[in-house]
Amino acid sequence: MVHNFRSDLTVDWCPGCGDFGILTAITKALGNMNLDPEKVVAISGIGCSGKTPHYLNIAGAHTLHGRSIPYSVGVKLANPNLKVLVMGGDGDMLGIGAGHFVAEGRRNSGVVIILYNNSVYGLTKGQAAPTMPLGEKVKSIPRPNIFTKINPIPLAMASGYSFVARGFSSEINHLSDLIQRAVNHEGSSVIEVLQPCPTYNDVNTLDWYRKRVYKLEDDKSWDPIVKNKEEEEEKFDNGYQMSLKWGDHIPIGIMYENNTIPSFTKRLSDIVPNYLKYPPSEQDISDSEGYSILDPFETFIERRID
Amino acid sequence: MQETDINLLVGGPQGGGIDSSANMINMAFSLAGYNIFGVREFHSNIKGRHSYIHLRVKHERPGSLKYPVDIMVALDPDTLFEHMLDVSKGSKIIYDSAFEKFELKQARMITLDTMSRIRYELENRKLPLNINGVLEYFKSVGVILVSLPFDKIINKNLPEGPATRYYNTLGAGATMAIIGLDIEHANDGIKYAFRKKPAVIESNLKVVKGGYDFIKEMGLEAENLEVYPVKPRMLLNGNDSVAIGKLMGGLRFQTYYPITPASDESNLLENHEEMKFLKGEAEKLKTAGLVVVQTEDEISAINMANGAALTGVRSSTATSGPGFSLMSEGISYAGMTEIPVVVTLYMRGGPSTGLPTRNGQADLLFAINTGHGEFPKMVISSGDMEECVYDAMKSLNYAQKYQMPVIHIIDKTLANTMDLVPEIDLKKIKIEKYEENKNHEDYKRFSLNTDTGISPYGVFGKDIYWITGDEHNEYGHITEDVSMRDKMMEKRRKKLETADREIPLNDKVELYGEKNADITYITWGSQKTLLLDAIKELKKNGITANLLYIKMFVPFASDYVEKVLKNANTVIDVESNMNAQAAQVIRMNTGIKIENSILKYNGRHMTLDEILKSTKKIMKEKTEVEVLENGS
Repeated sequence: MVHNFRSDLTVDWCPGCGDFGILTAITKALGNMNLDPEKVVAISGIGCSGKTPHYLNIAGAHTLHGRSIPYSVGVKLANPNLKVLVMGGDGDMLGIGAGHFVAEGRRNSGVVIILYNNSVYGLTKGQAAPTMPLGEKVKSIPRPNIFTKINPIPLAMASGYSFVARGFSSEINHLSDLIQRAVNHEGSSVIEVLQPCPTYNDVNTLDWYRKRVYKLEDDKSWDPIVKNKEEEEEKFDNGYQMSLKWGDHIPIGIMYENNTIPSFTKRLSDIVPNYLKYPPSEQDISDSEGYSILDPFETFIERRID
Repeated sequence: MQETDINLLVGGPQGGGIDSSANMINMAFSLAGYNIFGVREFHSNIKGRHSYIHLRVKHERPGSLKYPVDIMVALDPDTLFEHMLDVSKGSKIIYDSAFEKFELKQARMITLDTMSRIRYELENRKLPLNINGVLEYFKSVGVILVSLPFDKIINKNLPEGPATRYYNTLGAGATMAIIGLDIEHANDGIKYAFRKKPAVIESNLKVVKGGYDFIKEMGLEAENLEVYPVKPRMLLNGNDSVAIGKLMGGLRFQTYYPITPASDESNLLENHEEMKFLKGEAEKLKTAGLVVVQTEDEISAINMANGAALTGVRSSTATSGPGFSLMSEGISYAGMTEIPVVVTLYMRGGPSTGLPTRNGQADLLFAINTGHGEFPKMVISSGDMEECVYDAMKSLNYAQKYQMPVIHIIDKTLANTMDLVPEIDLKKIKIEKYEENKNHEDYKRFSLNTDTGISPYGVFGKDIYWITGDEHNEYGHITEDVSMRDKMMEKRRKKLETADREIPLNDKVELYGEKNADITYITWGSQKTLLLDAIKELKKNGITANLLYIKMFVPFASDYVEKVLKNANTVIDVESNMNAQAAQVIRMNTGIKIENSILKYNGRHMTLDEILKSTKKIMKEKTEVEVLENGS
């Protein structure tokens, strides 16, 4: 029987919300990949995006504001056989959780971060998020935005993520493809998803985006994949330049993919040889009578005196 | 013959070899069949500022330290200034003759406040503000000065030098000679201490011989000290012991952010990521090692540990006060979502950055009340090495059995106490896991069909379910329904009631000593072994005392504590904080107000002499609060 990756819960996002497109792209990607539903999990933070795991028929953790990344890394490293999807808004990932966002690049644990970017904090009534440009005035804020914006793509690249892409919530097939690519990628991925917030953001509307986005994949000469260390500098530079394009034409697609950066699970298995064979969650921790299988006098021999 | 019982102090600049010096002494006396007990004190500084190790050598295992010390080894002039008042008649001080020219104002690494205290002590006695002033003071009170020409002795025995590198060895050698340990055992100690650096053994042995010869020339050599048969023991501190307990207890995931005095535990675990398991049955089991992650901050540390626990792995984190503050929200989440996680809380002096490298027990009430909202958690505390091991194992058990966060408290003194542990019983604690979910078809993670409040635990990777920090229904989906809210709140509370019912009394509280006693001490943490020693000392003077020792604060053994205190005579609460926090917990749970307390919040370990003195004062002068001030 084909698993239905949508749970039967009623979705309570606003009509017209970009989150619907993202949810559809996720379920589509999971269905297309024919993944074992027990082997993929969803982790989110707080906000509208945070509700996504409840709408998916896979194990899900709706965690704390900004902390979805630490939770996802805990799950992934304890059981690297699991595919871990992380959902977070722009405030969640780049505001309260920015430290984790950067740190996860350094780890490259192998989680898939889907960054819902609508430039506002929706659930608390539309305050400016870290991705809103300086001077932008959406209807929910009393004065034009006084902060400059973070561009998550170069931030992710500079932090060390080995797969960095941008999608658009209304390009569902394209986004679903990006998610599949990311799930199959060994290191950690960031997919920034541009999306409208029909309730609070009356500047970056669905139409506003539709007129501007174009797919990088349509240009056959675009090759963002680093295959060896020699290509790293050039491809990083290309991805960086591409990520800055904004205005009348906004590119979506893979910005940078670097397969020469080892994943954290790979780095761990260099230290603990059986790590991938028997990950922490799968190990036996006691003998048949239920007692410890470790004798400190043998293991901590450097502390022993006799 | 009186039993050998020596208190000694090795002082020197941080990073200047006092650890190495103490290590040689520890190894030598351990191999001669003695027990050692010591505490390491240091500044929040990498190199240069004054640090010291306060040690006790005794055949019968000691649990406390005393001032004045019998022997003081000064590897720098600062030690003589800093510990001027820590010696008395008959104490011996080993120091480099070259220090004699040193002026107090040259001691730039002594903090200004300590400097002015030392200046006051010297001026008050009309002594010059230099080492000669201090030495004059020592002579006036009958201290024996052992002035060694460090360079000369080392150059004579080890012409290739460099002499400065061997000051610590000479200090250790002279100490052992003065105590009367035969040179063979001293040499064994050196060999053991340097067993991983065989190239330096020979040179160190020569320096030790130089120390022995010089002490002999000075006529200070003691009678040959008795030696005893030796069984294998482990030299552990509190950090090591918790790490060992965690590994024995099946920990396979640890997170941490560097902080004193907690990081040493995680460092030891990192060193043993690939573990050695028992031979035999373990070889056929699925074993690999543990994952230790140094996170970007403590917020990540607790939440990553929570995340790992969702896969069923035994997971924990370790921190100290400032980091624990950051973990509060994650602990609240673990309470709400019933995640089994252990937080080892190493207490140091607060508030804020406080005394980063010094002792404190001021976070008890914070640990009990950490996290917003009302949710069940357990708070347990250890007081000696064996407890650190077994309590770490138990914490992992409790967390999984009762599906809640467990906070395991160790104070800084205990974390940095060195103790020889003769045995760790592999069969003492059974590894107990959560009740596993068997219904994979229609799994309700937070099933209300439970008398204990405990619902079967499903894991990510095997079961499909949801968790959320929002109030939720049995499936783990968000709810704001009034009735479901009440049921879930009550279900979570019920787990703590179950834990309270199931956990035996002697895992919560212990009464040591005679049932009817003149004095009943109350304490927790590192003062446990200190007070057990104090009780023995008091008995010699015809005073009977017992100890109501608290190991678990949540759930709390209210009925038993109430019963003991109602029948007690003079009750004295002993804690390393200002507000007698355990006494507050007792009052909160039993309504009993404890009138007398011995408190210390200067960041240093309590010592036997000050406990005895303050107890006497409480008994004779009826003072209610005694604040202890020992320490440098």
